[in-house]
This record gives sequence, C-alpha cells and structure tokens, in this order.
Amino acid sequence: MARVPIEEGFFRIPDDPAAQPRLLGSRCPACGEVFFPRRLVCAKCLHEGTEDTELSTSGTIYTWTYCHVPMFGKKDADVSGYGVAQIDLPEGPRVQSILSGARDDFAIGMQVEIDLETLRHDADGNEVVIYRFRPAGDAAHGAGAGS
Amino acid sequence: MTRGLRFDGVAVAGIGMVRFGMLQETPIAHLARDAGLLALHDAGMTLADIDEAFVGYIQPGSMLGIKAMKEFGLTGLPVTHIENASATGLVAFRDAAWAVSSGRADVAMALGFDKFTDMTRGGGRGAGRDQIDAPILPAAYFALWAQRRMHERGTTAEQFATIAAKNWNYGATCPTAHRRSDHVVTAEEVLAARMVAEPLTTMMCCPPDDGAACVILAREDLVRERQPGRPLVRALASALTSETYTPGHTFVGPVVGPSAMTRATAEQCYEAAGLGPEDVSVAYCHDAFVNEELEYYELLGFCAEGEGEKLVAEGATGPGGSIPFNTDGGLLARGHPGGPTGLAMIHEAVLQLRGEAEGRQVENARVALAHLVGGGSVATVNLLGNEGRAP
Repeated sequence: MARVPIEEGFFRIPDDPAAQPRLLGSRCPACGEVFFPRRLVCAKCLHEGTEDTELSTSGTIYTWTYCHVPMFGKKDADVSGYGVAQIDLPEGPRVQSILSGARDDFAIGMQVEIDLETLRHDADGNEVVIYRFRPAGDAAHGAGAGS
Repeated sequence: MTRGLRFDGVAVAGIGMVRFGMLQETPIAHLARDAGLLALHDAGMTLADIDEAFVGYIQPGSMLGIKAMKEFGLTGLPVTHIENASATGLVAFRDAAWAVSSGRADVAMALGFDKFTDMTRGGGRGAGRDQIDAPILPAAYFALWAQRRMHERGTTAEQFATIAAKNWNYGATCPTAHRRSDHVVTAEEVLAARMVAEPLTTMMCCPPDDGAACVILAREDLVRERQPGRPLVRALASALTSETYTPGHTFVGPVVGPSAMTRATAEQCYEAAGLGPEDVSVAYCHDAFVNEELEYYELLGFCAEGEGEKLVAEGATGPGGSIPFNTDGGLLARGHPGGPTGLAMIHEAVLQLRGEAEGRQVENARVALAHLVGGGSVATVNLLGNEGRAP
C-alpha cells in the first residue's frame, strides 16, 4: 500500500516509512530568499528562475491554536480536535500546518518537527497523507496516531 | 506605487438589501432582485436610468450577475462581474463610484449576492478536500492571529468577548441583521459559547449567510433632482491593494494576510480624501472573527499600535463612543454572505449619514469608513460623507 500526498508538489514522501517527509521549497539565486511552496519568480526581488530546495524538518512555533471540531467535519479523520500552527523554518518561510499532539502540548517558541498524518484511504487503497508538526524530540508517532 | 481614488461629484442615489440569514427557499436571482428593487425605489429610478452595473458574488458559477440583472429588465447596459472574496461588495461599490466619477456613467449600480446554503449543498466548504490547506478550518487562521496578539500584548479573551457582545447588541437594533438577540448579550455569554478555535467561540465568529444588497451611485446633481430634501451622501474616496511581500509571508492558506496591508490601504484612502481618522464618525470593518476588529482599530488609525484594548475598555467603539464600529452588528451579527457584505456596510453607512439609523444613530455622523479584507490577499478602504463633513 503506497502513501500519496493530499496534493502534489508541496512535500516529498520518503520511501523509508521511518524517515521524515521534506517540504519542497525554492531559493532565489539572486537575493537568497527562500519560499514555500515552490515558485518560479522570486517574490522579493522578482528574479525569474528560482532553484529547487528541500526545507528543514524542524522549526519554531510562531503562533498556534487548537480547533475544537473534528477535522473535515468528522468525515475523514478520527479526531475530535486538532492543533494548527504557523511554524518558522530556519531558511525563512513561515509554514501553516496541522499539529500532532494534545491541547496542552504546544507553546509559542517551541521547537517542532515534521512528520506525516494519514487523512484517509483513496479508492485504490493508498494512504492519503499530509505533513504535520509535533513537539521536537517526541518519539515518532505512527501516521494518524497523534491527537 | 498604488494610490487611492478620489471621487468627484458622486453621490449615493439609492440603497437596498434583504435581511441576511439562511434563506434556502429563495432563489439567488430573487434575492438579488429584491435588494436591487429596494435600491431602485430608494433612488426613484428604474433600470432605464442605470448606465452601467457591477455585480459581485463569490460562489461558483459564471454569468450569475448577468442573469440576476435581467430581473430588472433588459436595457442593453454593460454589466461587469467582480470577485474579490470577502471584499467583493466594496470593490463593486468602488468601481461603480469610479464609473460615475470618471464621467463614463451618470448612474451606476453595484449589486452583490451570495447563497452560502448553495455553496454547502454539495458538502464542499472552503478549500476542496484534495487541497493542501483543506484540513485547516478558516477560523483557525484568525485564531492564530488572536493567539499571537495575546502572547505579544497580553490581550485577554474577555477583551475579544467584549467587542463581540457590542456587535451582537448592535445587531439587535438593526432590522436587516441576521443575528438579532432577544436579550442583552454579555462578554460572559460570548465566552461560555462553544469553543471553535482557541480563543474564538461560536459567538466570536460570523454566521453562514445568504443575502443580497445593492447601492446605486449617480452624479450629485441627478441625485438632488430625484430626491430633493434628502440629506446628500457622497462617495469620497477608495483604496484597494493586494499584498506586498514581507519575510514570513504565508503563501499556503493565506486567509489572514499581512496586517500592514490594511494600514497601507487606509493611508492611501485618507490621503485621496484629504481626511484622517480624526474626521471619521463611524466605521465598518471586517469582523468575521472578532479579534480582527481590535486589530483594525489600530491599523485603520483610530489609536496607536497596542492601544486597541484601551478603546475597548473605554467603550469608544460602541453606542455613544468616540468612534462607533459596526453599528449594524458587523459581519458578526448583521451577517457575511460574501458578495453583498460590503454593500450591506455601505447600506448602513448611508443610513447613518442620512440620520436614518433608528435605534443606533451615531450623533452628528459626517464621515463613514468601510473596510474589508478578501481572502487575506486584498484590502479595501472606502470613505463616504454627508454635507456636514469637515472640509
């Protein structure tokens, strides 16, 4: 059974199930600014022709909240609530992501690292996954086991 | 460099709206028809008087504006569709005002409508379920902004709830508001409502809505001729911007957008009008999620950064205050269907400037400001004034 992304072009799923996914970014060769997701034209200096780069697997929580409703209104994920954060990556981009963990696990300034969450299975039996972040240093959760 | 627009000799000829709410049984074209006919009656006009129309909605479907306009007749007038997410209605207003100001039209109509109940019928809501930002609740983006403010400024959930209660209580006084509470709403009641995304409870988030609203703008001399004796309300100026890049910009799920966008847009609009925040009597802002209103007190220039909480404590933005905000209940209580939202703002601003906002009239209202953001990616600020306005 394969793992497929919820939408192509935003993150790379490693072949090794224990390895972390990587967010796909762009770096401007002219001014050095780094972006997520990928883009052709630099949003800072308007240089055309950025270079592909893979972003760090950990970052810092800039802000977070906890949603007291099931993700997708109960249809897809077996969770009663979930965290959402803006995470600053060392390269510069601020990424919005769901969080793995309970209501009281998070704080502004906390280090978090990326893994994958299984949202549902598609018609071919593939796991549809999205990236999420969890407190750094936590033992790796199995996909879908968080919250 | 973008600049604000200053309108010359443009007045509001007519306003109309249907009360927002869950109006499943009413076809969308009939909502548009009813709002438009109210505005035409208010203006003393028929479609024969309208030179050009700008129609806004955010729900899927092409040509809905052209179809809706046929409800008023078929006169051959040019119709342009406008879509700028939540800001749609105000952008239709801006383009109609500019059409008159530029001389290309004597009379222009801005019409907005939407049916949230149609959008959700297929089970879809917001981003499609196969999109990267689909799992994140729209309320969460605004909650992230609220949580960051609480962290930086020590803002409390009670302060957000106080603003929400103010808007709920304003809504109760406005006949066209969706949420009209039968009792005085307190901050305690707002805080005790079901939590959606911390710190936002259901009573701090706007309801889903259906509705329509219409504003007709015309050359000032035509308005005086059609409605002699009525206080004249002019469209003064407008600014519309999209985002500028700053480090930390979020490109996926940009529902909130950089706060600098509202500040820059307001500055452009004030400059175009030759007015400042001190000249504004009453203001309308994007309060879909109530923490936004606190931010906009500062970003629209009504107080210094970090002093919004002081305005809340003083009651400055409520009845009898120095700068009442969202006197019809705002998006929170009047409602927020999408396309017509900005035109409902203008509807209320015009009632205030005519002195016809019974039960919630701002004394000596002279200048009104209407602000919306759209999809976190655009902001618009618009100014209207009556003849009592400061030069």
